[in-house]
Amino acid sequence: MSRVFRIELRRSAALGSALILLVAGVLLLFFAEGIGFADGWMQLAMTQRLYLAVLWPLALAAGAWQARRERRSNVAELFASTPRPRAHRTVPTLGAMATAVACGYLLMGMSGGLWIIGTAEYLPVQVFVVTAVGVLALIAAVWLGLAVGRLLPWTATAPALGIAGLGLLLLIPGATRPRGWLALVFSPIYEMKMPDAYTTVPSRASVAQAVWLAALAGTAVLLFASSGWRLRVAALLPVVTGAALAVTLMPHQDRYVTDAIDPVARELVCAPGEPRVCVSRVHSGLLTEVRTQARAGLAILAKLPGAPTQADEDTTTYLPEDYPPWRGDVVLLRVEVGSNGHLDQTTVLADVVSGAFASPPRCEHTVGPAEKLAAAYWLLGREPVAGWANDPADLGTAVQLWQDLRQLPESEARARVAALRQAALTCSAGASLGTR
Amino acid sequence: MMRTVSAAETVPTTYPWAVEAEGLRVRAGRHLAVDGLNLALNTGVHGLLGPNGAGKTTLMRALATVLKPAGGRLTLLGEPVNGRADLRRVRRGLGYLPQQFGFYPRFTVREFVEYMAWLKEMPKTAIPGAVQRAIDRVGLAPKAGARMKTLSGGMLRRAGIAQAIVNDPAVLLLDEPTVGLDPEQRLDFRGLLRDLGVDSCVLVSTHLVEDVAAACTDVVIINEGRLVHQGTADDLATQGGEGDAGDSPTERGYSALLRRHRAEAGR
Repeated sequence: MSRVFRIELRRSAALGSALILLVAGVLLLFFAEGIGFADGWMQLAMTQRLYLAVLWPLALAAGAWQARRERRSNVAELFASTPRPRAHRTVPTLGAMATAVACGYLLMGMSGGLWIIGTAEYLPVQVFVVTAVGVLALIAAVWLGLAVGRLLPWTATAPALGIAGLGLLLLIPGATRPRGWLALVFSPIYEMKMPDAYTTVPSRASVAQAVWLAALAGTAVLLFASSGWRLRVAALLPVVTGAALAVTLMPHQDRYVTDAIDPVARELVCAPGEPRVCVSRVHSGLLTEVRTQARAGLAILAKLPGAPTQADEDTTTYLPEDYPPWRGDVVLLRVEVGSNGHLDQTTVLADVVSGAFASPPRCEHTVGPAEKLAAAYWLLGREPVAGWANDPADLGTAVQLWQDLRQLPESEARARVAALRQAALTCSAGASLGTR
Repeated sequence: MMRTVSAAETVPTTYPWAVEAEGLRVRAGRHLAVDGLNLALNTGVHGLLGPNGAGKTTLMRALATVLKPAGGRLTLLGEPVNGRADLRRVRRGLGYLPQQFGFYPRFTVREFVEYMAWLKEMPKTAIPGAVQRAIDRVGLAPKAGARMKTLSGGMLRRAGIAQAIVNDPAVLLLDEPTVGLDPEQRLDFRGLLRDLGVDSCVLVSTHLVEDVAAACTDVVIINEGRLVHQGTADDLATQGGEGDAGDSPTERGYSALLRRHRAEAGR
C-alpha cells in the first residue's frame, strides 16, 4: 500500500496539482491585493482562506482531471480481471491527491509565514483551526472533483467543473442573502476579506464549516469508490446530514466572523521600564520599534501641565464599536503595520505628541486635525508634515496655524497649546488655536 | 534464481481442470459470441485459433472474469464463475493480457507491473521480487525504469506479458500476445511460453498458426462460438491434406478442420 501510494504520489496528477496550487496561492497572497496579512498569523490564515476563491475551483478541476485517467488509459478491461475491489484501488489516489492539495496550501501558508515570521509573535490556536478548515476545503474539493470526473469522464469535465466551482463560490453570498450565516456554512471564503488586527474566527463557525466540508468529502469518496447505483444513492446521505448538522451548529447571526474580536490579541503588552509604553498582543513584535519613539514623544509632552505619562496602542474597533477605557494620562497611538510587517509610521513620534490632543470616545467637540498637527509640531519644534491619517488639505491650515504660534511669545504659545489639550480632554474644543 | 514456495502452492490441486466450460454462452453486446462451448484445459500451453469473429476474444474475456457468462457452466480453478460468485480468489490466480492492453503512460514499467501486482492482491513482501522476475523473464530489465509511454509496440506487449505473469498465475490468458513482436522476440516469446506452460494453464489466442505449432502443447480451434477441435499440435498437422490451403502441415490441418466444420454446420 505504501509503495503504491508513493507511485501514485509521483505519477498521478498529485505533484502537478500541488505545484499549481502553490504557485497560484503565492501569487495571490503577495500580488492580488497587496500584502494584507502583515499584522500576524491570524490575518495570514484568513487571507489564505479568502484565496480559496481561486484554489478551491482549481482543486476541483485537478480532481476531475485525475479521475479521467482510467478512461483515458483504457485500463478498465485489465483492472476488471483483478481481485482488488474498486474501493481499495481508489485509496492511494484519494490519499495522493489529498496530500498534494494539503501540501500546496500549507506551503503557500509557509511562504506567507516567512514574510511575517520576524514580526508576528502572537500565534493563537485558532490560526491552526482556520488553516485546517482551509485544508479540509481543498481535500473536499479535490475528492469531489475525482467523483465528478469519474461519473462524467470527459475532457471538458475538468475545466467546466472549475468554472462551476468558481461560480458557486461567487454566487453563495447572493443566493443566501439576507441569511449571511448560511453563506458562512457553505462557503469557506465568506467573511475572510480584509481581516483587521484583532480579528478571529469563532470556533463554532469553524466547527460548523468543518462538519459541512467533511460531509462533502465523505459523499465524494463514496461516489468515487462506488461501482453501483445503490452506493451512489447512499452517498447523498452524508452530504444531506452534514448540511443539516452544520446549519444547526452555525449561530444564526449575520456578520458572525466579521464582528468577532479576539480579546487576547487586543490585550496590551507593555515594554519594561518607564514611562509605560504598551501595544496590543498581536503587535507585540513591534513593541521595541514603538517604544523608543513613543518615549521620546512622552518626553516632549512633559512640557505641558498635566502631561500624559503613558502611551498605549489605540485598540478601538469600529465593527463592532468598542473603545479601550479612557484615561487622561494615557496617549493612544494607532499602530499601523506596513506590508513588510514592520511599523509603517515614520511619524510615531509626532503621532504620540498629537495624541495628547485627542478627546474621549463619542465626544462631539473634538480638536480639528489641523490644530492637532500645529500644536504637536509646535511642541516638536519643526514644521508640520502630514501623518498617515491626515488629509493633505489640512496640512496647509496646520502650517499656517503653526507659523502663527511661532510668532507668539513662547509663554503665550505654550498656554494656548496647554489650553487646547485641556479643551480636548474636557470635550469642549471649539475655539481654534489662533483665537483664544 | 531461487524462489520461496508458499504453502498454498504446494497444496495439491483439488480440481480436475484449471478451466472447464460446459455449454458456455457469453454475449458480446447483443450478439451471442460464445454459444454452447465445451472446453476443458489443464496445465500446458494451449493455442486458441479461429477465424475473425469466431468468439476468441469474447471467450478470453469470459475466462478473465471480465464478462459474465450468459448461460452454461464455467469453472475456473475449481470455483464456479457466475453472477453471484465471489471472484476474488479466482482472480488472484489469473493473469490476463487483453487484446487492447491499457496502461498508465506516466508509470515506469516497474511501477506499472508493481501496481498490477498490488491489484492482484499479492503479499506485500513478495511484490518487489516478483516484479523484477517478471520483467527479467520478458527481457525488459534494461527498460524497467522507462516510462510506459516511451516504449515501442513490441516492448509494450512484453510489459503487458510481464504484468500478466507477475503473480505466477495458475491460469494465464494472453490475447494476441505476439502482435508487434519482431521475429527474434517471437522466438524468445515461444521459449517463455514453453517455460510458463510447465506449471500453469496458458491459453494463447492468436492468428499465427506457426506460433501455435512451435510453442503449444495443445490446440483449441473455435468457430462461431463453438469448439471445432481440441488436440495436440501434431494431431492438427495430420488433419490436413494436399488439397487444403496453407504453407505448412499445421496450416493445412487448420484449414481442413474449419472447412469440415463449416460443411457440417451448413448441412
